[in-house]
Order: sequence, then C-alpha cells, then structure tokens
Amino acid sequence: MKKILKSEGFSSFISSCIAIVIGLVFGLIIILLTNPSQALDGFLNLIVGPLKLGMTGIGRVLFYAVPIIMTGLSVGFAFKTGLFNIGTPGQFIVGAFAAVYIGVYWTFLPSGLHWIVALIGAFIVGGLWAVVPGLMKAYLNVNEVISSIMMNYIGMYLVNYLVKETVFDSLRSQSLPVASSAVIPKLGLDKIFTGSTLNAGIFIAIIMVILIYVILNKTKFGYEMKACGFNAEAAKYAGINEKKNIVLAMVIAGALAGLGGGLVYLAGSGKFISIVEVLAPEGFNGIPVALLGLSNPIGIFFSGIFISYLTVGGNLMQQFGFIPEIVDIIVSAIIYCSALSLMIKIWLGQRKSKNIKKIETKEGDE
Amino acid sequence: MDLFYFVIQQTWTFSIPLLIVALAGLFSERSGVINIALEGIMLIGALFGVSYLHVFGNLLPPQLNLIVALLIAGGTGMLFSLLHAFAAIHMKADQTISGTALNTFAPAFCIFFGRLVLGTQQISFENLFRIDHIPVLGSIPFIGPMFFQNTYMTTFLGIIILFISYILIYKTKFGLRLRACGELPQAADSAGISVYKMRYAGVLISGLLAGLGGLILVIPTSTIFNATVAGYGFLALAVLIFGQWKPFKIFFAALFFGFMKTIAATSNAIPFLLNLGIPSVVYKIIPYIATLIVLAFVSKNSAAPRAEGEPFDKGKR
Amino acid sequence: MEYVIEMCHITKEFPGIIANDDITLQLKKGEIHALLGENGAGKSTLMSVLFGMYQPEKGIIKMNGQEVSIKDPNDANRLGIGMVHQHFKLVHNFTVLENIILGAEDTKNGLLTMDAARKKVNALSQKYHLNVDCDAITSEITVGMQQRVEILKMLYRDNDVLIFDEPTAVLTPQEINELMGIMKNLSAEGKSILFITHKLNEIKAVADRCSVLRKGKYIGTIDVKTTSKEEMSEMMVGRKVNFNVKKEKAKPTDVILDVKHLRVGKKDHKDVVNDISFQVKKGEIVCIAGIDGNGQSELVYALSGLMPVKDGTIMLDGQDITKASIFKRNMVGLGHIPEDRHRHGLILDYPLSYNIALKSYFKERFNHHGFLDYAKITEYSDQLIEKFDVRSGQGSQTITRSMSGGNQQKAIIAREIDNDPQLLIAVQPTRGLDVGAIEFIHTELIKERDEGRAILLISLELDEVMNLADRILVIYEGEIVAELDPQQTTIQELGLYMAGSKKEDIK
Repeated sequence: MKKILKSEGFSSFISSCIAIVIGLVFGLIIILLTNPSQALDGFLNLIVGPLKLGMTGIGRVLFYAVPIIMTGLSVGFAFKTGLFNIGTPGQFIVGAFAAVYIGVYWTFLPSGLHWIVALIGAFIVGGLWAVVPGLMKAYLNVNEVISSIMMNYIGMYLVNYLVKETVFDSLRSQSLPVASSAVIPKLGLDKIFTGSTLNAGIFIAIIMVILIYVILNKTKFGYEMKACGFNAEAAKYAGINEKKNIVLAMVIAGALAGLGGGLVYLAGSGKFISIVEVLAPEGFNGIPVALLGLSNPIGIFFSGIFISYLTVGGNLMQQFGFIPEIVDIIVSAIIYCSALSLMIKIWLGQRKSKNIKKIETKEGDE
Repeated sequence: MDLFYFVIQQTWTFSIPLLIVALAGLFSERSGVINIALEGIMLIGALFGVSYLHVFGNLLPPQLNLIVALLIAGGTGMLFSLLHAFAAIHMKADQTISGTALNTFAPAFCIFFGRLVLGTQQISFENLFRIDHIPVLGSIPFIGPMFFQNTYMTTFLGIIILFISYILIYKTKFGLRLRACGELPQAADSAGISVYKMRYAGVLISGLLAGLGGLILVIPTSTIFNATVAGYGFLALAVLIFGQWKPFKIFFAALFFGFMKTIAATSNAIPFLLNLGIPSVVYKIIPYIATLIVLAFVSKNSAAPRAEGEPFDKGKR
Repeated sequence: MEYVIEMCHITKEFPGIIANDDITLQLKKGEIHALLGENGAGKSTLMSVLFGMYQPEKGIIKMNGQEVSIKDPNDANRLGIGMVHQHFKLVHNFTVLENIILGAEDTKNGLLTMDAARKKVNALSQKYHLNVDCDAITSEITVGMQQRVEILKMLYRDNDVLIFDEPTAVLTPQEINELMGIMKNLSAEGKSILFITHKLNEIKAVADRCSVLRKGKYIGTIDVKTTSKEEMSEMMVGRKVNFNVKKEKAKPTDVILDVKHLRVGKKDHKDVVNDISFQVKKGEIVCIAGIDGNGQSELVYALSGLMPVKDGTIMLDGQDITKASIFKRNMVGLGHIPEDRHRHGLILDYPLSYNIALKSYFKERFNHHGFLDYAKITEYSDQLIEKFDVRSGQGSQTITRSMSGGNQQKAIIAREIDNDPQLLIAVQPTRGLDVGAIEFIHTELIKERDEGRAILLISLELDEVMNLADRILVIYEGEIVAELDPQQTTIQELGLYMAGSKKEDIK
C-alpha cells in the first residue's frame, strides 16, 4: 500500500483530482456571481442532474462520452509518444465525412456490413489526415502543433465544401441522413437505457481503449513508441527508427479521432454535419480528457465519462436559466490546472524528499 | 483599377491584425515563452472592446471612442495573458497546454458574457471609424487610394507598432535583455537580470498586442462580433514563423497572408478570378496550405529563440 | 588577518541532497586560492552561493570583515565579485561587446549607447592581454576567445574577486598556459582569485593555497608549495588511490574494425573528421586521445550511425556498415557506451529493466510475435545487475532517473558488454564517476580485452589513456596525428601531440 502512495502514478492521480476540484469550484464561483439566487440549485443540478434521470441519464452520459473517449485516446496516445495532437477536430470531421458518404451511397453493401465499412472508412481517412503533420514532423522537423492546426482548418473548409457538393440536404442545410443499414445497431441498449440514444458505439470505444492499452504496455511497438516519447535521441541510439514511429503514432492518433467522428454521425440520432465554419468541439475536448486521464487509456475512459457527465449536467442546467457554456469554462479551468500539475507534483514530491536522501547516502557509501 | 485599389485596401484590413498579433507572438517567444493562446487573447480583447462600443458607441467622437475601445481591448488582453504568464513562468507548466486552456476558455466566455451581460452572444456595434479620404495624403495619385483612402486609423497604428517593436527589440536595453532571456536565460540570470520579470514583460506585451489585434480585426470586417476570430490567432503564429522571428520579415509575411485571405474573401467580386471557375473553398484553404509549405522549408534551420518553451530553472547549470 | 572573503559555516541543501555541509572558506587578498574536489563534492554549489545564484540555508558571508548579504548576482557584482562559469553563459547570436555589457548597459533616453563601453573593453583588453574582437558573433569565435570574453565581463564590472569554475576543461594546453599567465597577472594587480578544479597539475602551477571538499564537507586548507600531489589527492578522495591498474600485455588477433579515409562534417562546413584511417583488432584496447572538440565525438557518432558520413568506408567484421542503419550496425556487432549517458545511453523515465533490455527487447527470447515478455526481461535484468553490481532503490523496477550517475553508467556498461559485441566503443566511460566506480570499470574493460574483445576507447583523461590503452591514436583537428605505444611514451609527449605539435618539434 505504501508503495502505491509513494508512486509517481498516485501523485499524478491526486493532481488530476485537484485539477477537477479547482475547476468545479471555479465554475461554482462564476455561477454564484452571475445568478446567486439559483446558484446552488443550478450547481447541484450539474452535479447530480444526470443521475436523477436514472438509466436514461446514464445512457446519455455514455453516449456523449463515446466521441471524446476516442479523441481523448487520440490525444493521449500521441502524448505517450511525445507528440501533441491538436489536430483532432480536423481528423474527427474528415472521418465523419467519410462515414457519412459511405453511409449514404454505398447501399450495395449488406446490412450487417455497411456500418462496419463506414466506420472503417472513417478510421482510415482520419489516419490519412494525420499523415501530413506526422511526415512533416519526422522528416522536416516541423512543429506538429502548428501543422495540425493548419490541417484542422483545411479539413473544416474541405468537408463543408464536400458535403455541399455530395451529400447535401438543401432543405435543412446539412448532410443527408445515412441509409438505415449504415446506422450503428443498438444491440438492445435502447431497452436497457431507455430514452437515450446509446448504441453499440460504446462497445467499440471500450474495445479501442483495451486495444490501445495492450499496444502501449504489452507490445514491442508500444515499447518503441514510449521510448521515442521519453527520449527520441536514446531511442535512435538503440536502433529504433524514430521517424517511422512518429508517423505511425500520428496516423494511429488520427485514425482514432476519425473513428470518433464516424461513431457520432452514424448514430442515427439526428446528428448531421452542418455547414458551419466551426472546428469540431469533440476534437478539442479530447485534450482535457487525455490530460485528466494522464494519457493512460483506462484513465481516459473514465475521464471521458466524467467530462461527458458534466456536459449532460450542463445542458440540464439550462432549465434554470444557466448558460451551458459554463461547462466549457469549467473544462478550460481543468485544463489550466492540469498544466499546473507539475508544480503540484513537485510540492507533493518535496514531502518524499526525506526518503530520497536516505537512498542517496546509502549509495554514496559504495 | 478601382477593383485593384479595393483589393489593396482590403489587404491592409487583413494584414494589419496579423502583423500585430504576430508581433505579439514575437515578444512572448523572444523572451522564451511560447504563446499559442493568441487566438484566445484576441477573442477577449475583441469581446471587451466591442462590448464597450456596443454600450457606449456614442459617448465620444468616433475616433476618440475607438481609442478608448482599443485601450480596453489591449488592457483586457494583457490581464488575460497574465494567466498564461503565471502558469508558464511561475508554475513552470507545459506552455502548449496552458495556451490551450486559454484558447478553450475564451470562446466559451465570450458566449457566456454576451448572453449574460448583453443579452445576446452576437454583439453588434456601429462602424463609424472608416476614414474615406485623408486630407492631402489621400489625393496623391496611386499611393493615395492604396494607403490613404477607405482606411482606418488602426492601420497606421499597426505600422507604428511595427517600428516601435523593432526599436524596442534591437536598440534598447530592454530588448537586449529580453533576447538574452529567450536564447540563454542562464546568461541573463548570471548577469543579474531577473528572467522572471523579463518573461512576464514579454508575455504581457504579447497579451496587450493580441488583445489590440482582436479588436482591430473585427472593426473593419463586420459589424457583429460572434465569439470568433476565425483562426487568426493561429495564422499569426504561422506569420511569426514565416517571418523568422524578425519584425520586418514578419511584416512582409503578414502582407502575403493578408493578401491571400483577401483573395479568398473577394474572389467572387473579381471577374478575372471568377472566370477561372475555381470554387471559393480553394481560396479559403490557400493561406493554410501556404503556411504548411512555408513551414516545410523553414523549419530545418529554425531561427527560433533557442530557449523558448523551456521553463527557466535556476538549478540547471 | 582580514580576509577579503570569508564564507562561514555555509550549508546549502537541494531536495534530497546536502550539497554544502557546514563549509568554511577563507580567501586572502591578492591570492590565487584553489578549490579542489571530485565531481559532486560541492565546489560549484559553494561558488554559486558566493555569487548569489543560490541562497544558503545556514551560514554567512563576510567581505573584508563585514557581514554582507548576497541575494542575487547583482549584489555579488556590487560587492565586486564575478564568476567565469564552466559552461559559458554567452548568448550565441550576440556580438562579443553585447555579451560583455549585458546587464550593465549604458543607455541614453532608453536607447543603447555602445561607444563608451567599447573604449573601456579595448582598454581592459590591452591591459590584461585579453585579445577579443568586439564585433564578432559569439558563436563564431574560438573557445579560448569565448573564455576571454567571460573574463572581460568580470573586469568590465570592476570585479576584484574573480571565481573561475573549471576554466581549463575546454582549453588546449597552449591556451591553458595563457590562462595561467593571465591569472598570475590578475593576482599581481591585486585581484583575488578562487578557482575550482580537480586537476592537481594546475593547482601546483598557479595556486597559493588550496581548500579541499569531499562529498559536501570541508576537509582542510593546505599551502600548495609545501604539499605533494599525492597528499592533495588523498584529501580529495579519502584514501590512497592506486593510479595504475594491473595489466598484462595484449594479444591482438584479427582486425574487426577497419576505417578508411573517413570524412564527417556538415554541408558547407569544414570537415570535423578529416580523412581518418585506422584499425582495431580483437583482443586489444585502442584509445583515441585528444582534447575535447577535435573530432572524436563526431568520429564515434559516425561509427555508431548517429551522424552521416561524407566520404570513406567503415568495415565491421568484414561487413560494410558505412551507410547502414543503427539497428543493422548493432546487429552486426557494434556496442556503444555513449559520451552522454542521459541523452543517448538511457531512457531515464523507463524502469531499469527496460533500459537493460534496450538493445535486446526485440530478440526472440523476449519478443513473441510482437508481444514483449516483461517477466523474462525483468529476470534478465535481475541477473545482470547482480553480476555487475548495479545498485538502485528498487532493483529492476527502479525508475532510472532516480539512480546515481555511477550506477547508471554501470547499467549501460552491463548492457553493452552482455550483448556480446564484436567491437565495443566506450566514450568517456568514467566521466563524472567516483574512484571506486572508475576502478571497477577499468577492471571490466581489461577483462573484456583479455577475453578477446575489441575495444575502442575515447578518453580525455590522460591517466586513463596511459593506463588502459595498448595503442594510442592521437586526434587533432579531425586527423590522426600520431600512433603511440604507451610503454614508450610519456604523458608530456602525449600532451604535446594532443596540442598539435608534430613529432619533429619535440627535439
């Protein structure tokens, strides 16, 4: 037990918790300042609202968690290999477009296969979208943050254009509905979580979480990825092809985000690609999910659910006249505190320093 | 010919905010702190500047009112950037994450503030600031219509900021010390310079300029501020890199990108381009693709300040 | 007797380490006072306290009998204390003049005015024979000139107490002599000098008195003229040191490494490695000796694949590896104990076992169809750290970053040797290690040689070179300028070759 308390992982977990608490408190303060009379009710609604809705609420939370778990995995996997994938909005939306296009036009595919192929399409296209920043980083030393941001905007404009040209519903100014054979099956989840739109997508997300966990921790590939992330020069010294790994890491990250896009727009729940010049928020929300989850797949799963929970709660707050954007503000406070986590860890670490001193003097007597 | 002048005038409208925000990035990075929160800071500056005009649009004569709005935009931008400065400098946080936090906060806050305080997230204002024709200067053939007609006071403000920046960075004690902090903070520290203070200065100046840039972007381009600056903050980063962290090169980079943006926005009105039959999406994405191409060529031998992005740690020798 | 500087009972702590433990140091006016100690003894920390870069937990500093408070380098400067650091604190793209005035600039209306500064720098330069070019860009001048810039920084601020931190680490023997002369000049002019070193020869050459530190504690102060090098060394390490390792004569057999006409360098720049050819046989230790910065680092990078080759060939065990990937070279049999153990040799955030397996994780015994058998890796790691006496907090699970430098190095050596390479390249294998670790590593290397391994050793420590090498190749400005037999040559001769004198000049 002592080992767990002393470990690096535990202090990181604590600093995540601290970040969450500070974020929530910050949100509470803003609510108190702007609408004092209803503040407590509103805040409570945020915290327990989804639970009050019972199975419907849980179903909704899980449903909205799916895309940000995917983008969270995307960002987290990239982090582990030393890259900051801020290109998730772009990868997400191009993946979504691929899924919708296949969903609308490839009706020659049998019902059980159609939605699977559409998702695979989203996966592949998302991965391809990340190839450019990956190659540029590996071979031209271009900072992947800037290049990914550029790809976000190119993706957004391109998808808007392509939707208008190929799958446009001009009456409602959005993408056409996909064929019913392309909708992700519910697998009975709508009976358990009545009133929600939960579907098999949650299982796919869970499978991806497990897959990424296994890849990172049990495979040779994962060993090399993490080595590159920790120390690219030492990885090179060891004979690891760090250029190949950078590209591969970006591609996988992009594919995960793209798949997220596919899962959302094939849910058959009334979500269509609209022609707006706004970057997909599910993309950016992957960042706090990854940060809170410490880039660990299991952690990401839970932090995705947590942030989704806040989002659902935030929407419920509207009943009290609160503006749902408060959730984004809370999330941004959480990101900010995560950035400060290093300092918190150092502070926690100074309490451990006495133990380190003992080891040092022991070794010094060699 | 009128069309040509119009394009030039529009280019200024797009280039000057890019110039100012890129210079904002320059001050921060030259001191050693990466600031990708330019987008968010622009939003905050624009929000408060436009809100002021929305409420007090007729308080003072137009140009004077504009100056007040600019001061507010710059000031709020500076305050907002304090968050990034604190995280990056004092708390030695990951500067990209801290910047992302600010970028996530700003649009949400704009909507929140708009709805809460002004009742709407689309904040309108009256554009009384356009200067049709500057006396005397506007009548010079060719140059007149290019620079001194159909313009805004903010354009000249931008040029003044450019020159001040150059002098500040290369010709003053402040600039020498700032650059030392960005290249080798240990050298500055052992020369008795407070690296913390210089970096705070760099980031706060960056906040001031980015806040200004946000308002300067919105004023000529629309009469409504709708919680977005369309990625200008990020484009400004590209301008900074293209301009190799040097003020005048940044100016030319800003002109280039501004020109591209102008073409993208006005391609329908230009018969020559209209006839080419290129869909407008191409023009929209050209600035971003151009950035990628530039990055590809420029990143190998980067002239970036060597110590940027690394929190300064006295213990490191 | 009033001392110009007195540091009384100084204690300085960092998280987990007591760097200075109740140290008292006294500096007389006009003297050259050496501060002697091994790596990690606390010398640099103590001087950083004097210079205001750190604040001590306990203790006071007195200047000319009065207690003073030194909270930052500005305070130190005001008191006339200046410091030349081991790693120069010069901004690479500033001019020499800009670097000198940084922090003490003259301004008029806020704008920099350099004329007065230029005049003063030129005057100082002449007075103390410190030749510099005010308008040169700092990254483009020689290391010797950079050091002179650092000294001028101090003199420009009218500093009277000058601290030098390992000043000769990066100089050629010629430049070292010049520096010794400069220091004597400064002392004659009334400046008081503190100089940190671990080189006994230099202490004997210029110092008046010497204070010795060991593991953060003050051991004593001696008069240099009346104390022998052996006595000083014993104070430094705490026990009599055996300078020589026992070694039998080598029995080399086949050629395993064959380098022909190798050229390494950046495009459009002078070749850092300029037409080098040599061979290494099984069962011998070949040492490449030279002053830091003469191409030996780049030579090793080229051999190991970390840097590309412009021209020439490298044959290892009969195979041409000139353009081969690093992976291929490792497979053919290249072992490499790198110069920078943190940058190349280890992934500090990985557990020890992962680092032990850094070059073998992909082999069949650990890798089953892409899945790693971490249990087996841990087992292997346990065996190895037992065999090579690698100590760590939690054995194979220890996060490598928390291990001491000596044990990190031992881990690297364990890994490289156990990988059974055809050629083992060892670069500065004992840098920064304490005497016990050094003895261990020297013994290991000789053992490997006796078992028939080929070893290419790169070292900057002349004692190590003379002790271990069977053949010495001297590198100077990218070329091999001599091949020497350590039995037939003296350290002085070796030094001369390293400084570039040709054979003929020795007469």
